[in-house]
Amino acid sequence: MSNTLSTTSRSTKHEVTLLSRTQTSSHTYTGKFLLTLPLGKRPPLRIIVDKRNLLANLLMVGLLMLLTGISLATGSAATLSGPATLGALLGHGSALDIFVVRDLRLPRVVAGLVTGGAFALAGCLMQTVARNRLATPGIVGLDNGATAFAVASVVGTGISLAPPAMALTGAAVAAALTFGLTGSIGVRGYRFLVAGIGVGAVFGAITQLMLTRVSIDAANAAYPWTVGSLNARPAHAVSILSLALLPAVLAAIRLTRSLTVMRLSDAVAIGLGVSASRCRLMALNVAVILTGLAVAVAGPVGMVALIGPEFARQISTRNTVPVVGATLAGAIVMLAADLLGRVIFAPIEVPVGIVTALIGSPLLLWILLNPNARTTP
Amino acid sequence: MASFMNRHADSSVMVRLRACLWSGKSPSPVATWGLLMILLAVIALLSLLFGAGAVGPDRAWLALSDFDAAAMHDSEAHFVIGELRLPRLGIGLVVGIALGIAGALLQAVTRNPLAEPGLLGVSAGSAFAVTLAILWGADAATLRISVAQLGALGGCLCVLAAARLQGIGNDPVRLILAGAILSGLLHSLSSLILLFDQYTADEIRFWVVGSLAGRDATDLMPLAPSLALAALLTVILARPLAALALGEHVAIGLGHHPRIVRFLVIVVVALLVGGATAIAGPVAFVGLVVPFAARALAGPDIRRTLWFCLPLGPIVVVSADIVSRLVVQPSELPLGVITALIGAPVLIAVVRRRRLPML
Repeated sequence: MSNTLSTTSRSTKHEVTLLSRTQTSSHTYTGKFLLTLPLGKRPPLRIIVDKRNLLANLLMVGLLMLLTGISLATGSAATLSGPATLGALLGHGSALDIFVVRDLRLPRVVAGLVTGGAFALAGCLMQTVARNRLATPGIVGLDNGATAFAVASVVGTGISLAPPAMALTGAAVAAALTFGLTGSIGVRGYRFLVAGIGVGAVFGAITQLMLTRVSIDAANAAYPWTVGSLNARPAHAVSILSLALLPAVLAAIRLTRSLTVMRLSDAVAIGLGVSASRCRLMALNVAVILTGLAVAVAGPVGMVALIGPEFARQISTRNTVPVVGATLAGAIVMLAADLLGRVIFAPIEVPVGIVTALIGSPLLLWILLNPNARTTP
Repeated sequence: MASFMNRHADSSVMVRLRACLWSGKSPSPVATWGLLMILLAVIALLSLLFGAGAVGPDRAWLALSDFDAAAMHDSEAHFVIGELRLPRLGIGLVVGIALGIAGALLQAVTRNPLAEPGLLGVSAGSAFAVTLAILWGADAATLRISVAQLGALGGCLCVLAAARLQGIGNDPVRLILAGAILSGLLHSLSSLILLFDQYTADEIRFWVVGSLAGRDATDLMPLAPSLALAALLTVILARPLAALALGEHVAIGLGHHPRIVRFLVIVVVALLVGGATAIAGPVAFVGLVVPFAARALAGPDIRRTLWFCLPLGPIVVVSADIVSRLVVQPSELPLGVITALIGAPVLIAVVRRRRLPML
């Protein structure tokens, strides 16, 4: 761990000096600028900022705020105007409005934001590590593993804190199984994905098995985990995920530089001073933790892990791995899908898992069947 | 004297078997096939004896040994065996044969050892078609079968189109991945329809998981014509398929028409899978496991593989059905769950091999 970090920081320093040298001679880095933060006596902190990435991320933040506003304002109970929503959020206005916005819609929006971000960041990390655009946690069986364990804890114990921990265990078990079983054939090809589908099918069957064994009440309590929905999610699971998401994003930012060279090949990465196996292990751990905790909140909404990074890659530069962009894009996709599911067939609510599957599956098929599509992220 | 003869015969069988084992040769295919048939008979008997309800194996055995008398003194056992377990066994046999043969045919025509109707979206296509039909007001059992077969045909055509795409046909694993995604898409479309329509949901809820429970023997009757047609076509197509396995040019040279053969095989697969799906719901992985085992026993020739699928399919389905009854007594487990638990490890094992077996 410490070794990886020190390697990263060393390479950072190296590249910054390289950059400043080239900048003094000629302005070849037109798409970037150097942000210098004075740190008193110590040498100033210099950060290379990519203009396009900055613009893309700002755009996504704006979009996210817009979507948050719309999600808070619309719904079957009451559709509020913009100022009324803001007022209700801050505690002004009628008691009903305040209740609807603050107690019903806000938790849901927050749950959508954090789960979307978590799924998409996990997807981005795993795609990069496996060097395959299709290798999302959902496809290689992590979602189903986490779901099986979460359902087991609900129908078995009924302790309210158990699902996040159990879902985490399930994601880890599924990841260990998939990666362990495909050890000899590597993670690059389609075989890895099909083995993951097999692991996922086993866990899916186990979930079904448990749901048929228990009483109807316990089965109903566990049902939301099987379809993927943001409706009335447990508050403590959301807060655990929020607590985990921030360090995960920071760790991913820290790993960005290593991941960027990891996209090329292990040999190139090692040659540039990146410890490939450590980087891979770190990224996988982050992905497993995020997926497990997110499944504990929203159930298997695995397609966000495909759509989010794909969207982020389209609008960011190809030079780096867009970890922040993927997180933001995942949150956008999740919120938009949830809003769509709530609004489009108004009295009936379509679970967000079905909406994302309907959007994501054609995208997945297109990537897979288009002979000219790139397979690497 | 008789006992001596018997013992002598036994020992000679043992000697032969041991000789086979020592020399590394497998027993002759005909003997293996006979053994499989005996095994199937035993499993069929077991499926009559064991159940999730109150009638245990001892009572069932007594009732079976004198079935007409049982109507008098143990009417419950008589009813359970005659009206519940026997039709269920029959449906299990039909579904097993249909799915096993369909899997072998689909694998031969796509030249892909992993091609499985459930994984490739054929079953999902027929389930989606049935959901649509029920949504639009159809509920007759006969209509359901033809609709399911049409849906399966649509799924098959999708698979064939994908297999013809550049780069996909040569990569068996990629085709499976595409099929799995197509299945997921159709499944979520079906769930979307079910959300809207409570009536459809009630009609179909127990059907989509794949189960043999609650099926009537009369459900089998409408299936008979299409199954007979499929059987006839399979018999005719076996030889051209074996030629096609040698390559397209060889098949043309031997006087076959690959396009027509391929199309007819797809029709047979649609008839079989659609029919099986209509009575038992989508049951995945049977079409993978059965031809896999059949090839291991019979070798690469499709004609022999098809013969071995005949007992192996029902063995897998009926024994999975017995397990599904016994695991969660007194309730039952969907059949699709057990077949997934058996089939997914087989899938992983095949995928893990360094070299995929080519067809």
